[in-house]
Amino acid sequence: MSINVSQLIQSMLGAATGAAKGHGADLKNYLEARARLIAEGVAAIASDRLEGKINDDDVRFAFDEIKESEKSAAAAVSVTVKAAAQDAVNAALNVAASAINSAIGIAIL
Amino acid sequence: MDLSPAFPRRPIFLAVVAYCAVLLAGCSAVFVAPYDETTDRLLTELAQKTETAVVQADAGQLSTEDRQKFYSESLGTVRTLKARAGLFAKNEDELRALGVLEKHYERLQEHGGAPRTSLTTGLRGTLTDLQQIEIAKKRSSAFSSGLKKTSSTSTP
Repeated sequence: MSINVSQLIQSMLGAATGAAKGHGADLKNYLEARARLIAEGVAAIASDRLEGKINDDDVRFAFDEIKESEKSAAAAVSVTVKAAAQDAVNAALNVAASAINSAIGIAIL
Repeated sequence: MDLSPAFPRRPIFLAVVAYCAVLLAGCSAVFVAPYDETTDRLLTELAQKTETAVVQADAGQLSTEDRQKFYSESLGTVRTLKARAGLFAKNEDELRALGVLEKHYERLQEHGGAPRTSLTTGLRGTLTDLQQIEIAKKRSSAFSSGLKKTSSTSTP
């Protein structure tokens, strides 16, 4: 049995896209939660300063800490993108392996 | 070499397919370290302990002694996580995030005062980042397991 290349490409693309979708939804939820956390934190900084619970030095410290945390946010996005790419590539490879098995009639992969 | 129409094409096709099969066999892309349940559990416990300390600090119920204990234990957990993360290949992003987390706890301890919500937004953000890293790894791990099951059952 021969392999229909254009059909195989479509199947591989479909599998790869499907594999990456879950990570995309996770990333959206994460970015929303991250933005909410910062917004609530900034509101707490303003509120605590107005009430005299923290001083100007504390405000600068708190904001510097938020800026520092952007480094770990970049790491989180990086891992999510890499994991999505990994799953997409492996899903496509899985389709390719199945196509080879079907073509030769033996499950060698 | 005889390339006349009589040349046997099926053996060539099978040879090419077999060659591709050898190339693909056992070949899967790995861009991130595998999911580690112990890391996930320690991280969740650390996040829970931190949120509890923040609630107590906001309510003025975290004593100086409790605060020092909280920082010491948290730093101990982060350093344990860093050591464990270093054992896995392709784990540089997680190691970088854990380094940021360690610095957050150290700077908060040096800065003094209670770990109120207003002072810990950066720290809590980094904890969220690390939890997202575990979620991405866990999803990928579950997906890979599904692929292995599919490929072992769907082939003739």
